[in-house]
Amino acid sequence: MSAISTDPRATSAQTAESPALIRERKDRRRALGLLTPGLIWMALFMVLPMVMVIYVSFWTQTTFAVNSDLTTASWERFLSSSTYLTAIWTTLRIWLIVLVSTIVVGYPVALFIGLFVRNKTLQTALLVACVIPFWTSFLIRVIAWRPMLGTEGAINTILLKLGVISEPLTFLLFSEFSVLVGMTQIYCVFMVGPITFMLGRIDISVIEAARDLGASFGTVFRRIILPLSLPGVMVGSIFVSVMVLGEFATAASLSGRKVNLLGNIIVSQVGSLKWAFAAVAGVVLTIIITAVIALALRLVDLRKEM
Amino acid sequence: MQSGILRPALATYTALFLLFLYGPMIVLAILSFQSIDGGPQFPIRDWSTYWYQHLLGLAESSRVSQLPVGESLVRSILLAFMTTVVSTILGVMSAEAFRTKFKGSGPAFYLIILGMMVPGVLVGLGMALLSNTLGIGRAWWSTSFVLHVVYTYPFAFLIMLAIFNRFDRTVEEASFSLGVPPAQTFRRVTFPIIFPGVLSAMLFSFTLSYDEFARTLFTAGRDLTLPLSIYGTFSVEIYPNIFAFGVLTTLFSFTLLVIYGLLMKRFTAKASRFSGQEDAA
Repeated sequence: MSAISTDPRATSAQTAESPALIRERKDRRRALGLLTPGLIWMALFMVLPMVMVIYVSFWTQTTFAVNSDLTTASWERFLSSSTYLTAIWTTLRIWLIVLVSTIVVGYPVALFIGLFVRNKTLQTALLVACVIPFWTSFLIRVIAWRPMLGTEGAINTILLKLGVISEPLTFLLFSEFSVLVGMTQIYCVFMVGPITFMLGRIDISVIEAARDLGASFGTVFRRIILPLSLPGVMVGSIFVSVMVLGEFATAASLSGRKVNLLGNIIVSQVGSLKWAFAAVAGVVLTIIITAVIALALRLVDLRKEM
Repeated sequence: MQSGILRPALATYTALFLLFLYGPMIVLAILSFQSIDGGPQFPIRDWSTYWYQHLLGLAESSRVSQLPVGESLVRSILLAFMTTVVSTILGVMSAEAFRTKFKGSGPAFYLIILGMMVPGVLVGLGMALLSNTLGIGRAWWSTSFVLHVVYTYPFAFLIMLAIFNRFDRTVEEASFSLGVPPAQTFRRVTFPIIFPGVLSAMLFSFTLSYDEFARTLFTAGRDLTLPLSIYGTFSVEIYPNIFAFGVLTTLFSFTLLVIYGLLMKRFTAKASRFSGQEDAA
């Protein structure tokens, strides 16, 4: 930038700045101008509501209303109630189980599509096949598990016909089990996608070289495939985590009210106009999600992976 | 890669996985053809299209009340359309901004991405509290709409960012140096290049908004959108009319997907014809 400009316009200009510098500043101003509407939108309609949740969690709750006298009463009630504390524990437990099960269920699929299928058309077709259910309404996909898992549902009917069981299995539906199965099916795709993407980028000659040097598949997997696919697992985990932690619909429709996540607490508190309690549950949920994302972002740079 | 038993084993596993993904929808589709006296489970008493007629209001009144889908469908489509327009414009603008290096681009990036990370139930709650405090009425076209954009704009932004990353800037600069004004350069040079991305961003925004439920729950006020109507039936006993509805909405989504595919194909065909002309000349 400090190079002497031979451009006559620059030397005759009153400012001593080079055209490159002027242009750079103009570009930057243009970039900020383009970015401002989006950032304002996010500040007004995302940051402000979240600040409001924190603020209202300190409001005074009366029977059917809240007023803005600040108090920690809602917090004290929340943290001393076993119902709410159980909800925190349930949320964390369901989240961890679903996270692990989406990795366990999804990884082999991603391994097959990303690494074993080398035909691009087939690879795309398989990925599309994984994404297509995503095009059905989320709530319909949740409700579809009822005729599948119910006592007169598809699985029980088939097992009874085959003679595997003599009585229908009742733990399948309206239990924690059905919530876990439903969530795993719905969110698995978000794990398969990123892992497949990372695996597809592995240079096959690296693996071939390892094989030529006598490495077994186990060694190749442990030393090459797994480390290179880990960013995909992390990105998938972030997706699955934020979605599962904010969940309430699956639990509401498949658990028969046996599973109460923090999301369900928020919905039921809003339903009974207990805004301050709902806000407290909201803040607790925010803290949990922030901690999870912060932990994940320490392990992976999202901006670099995209 | 050759590794004996592993390949067929993984292939079988993937097939089972697809069965796991599709199984519930297949069962649901089968049960949607349940007869009038059948319940939402097996066995199928008799094959019929009764529940489809029931859904469309063609069947004579029965013990089951009709799903309130008519008006809510119109609302959902309108809402998705509004969301698509705004979030695509915002997405293109922001991604264009990110082509220039500037201070604070990191925080700005994460602020936008946060929109797709924050759980719907949380921003929904915050928006409801905010509108209560400010005394603003909640409605699907106002409070729900702005939250839908908060959710879909990051997706549009990321898609456009990926497109711009692969976009050779010198093409635009060539146009500028030939004296083409910026507006025309955008129309004739930039837009054709980014069009596939714009189309994908629109597709994403539309489907995400059309199906969005958590962000709408607390903010839609009295008039329900389609997902809210479905959610309303969760608390009561379900009937095969929901299954029929599920099949129809899936078909609707596929229609959208086909339109997207056709537009994309037509566009790429045009582009390749154009480059062919260049070769000939």
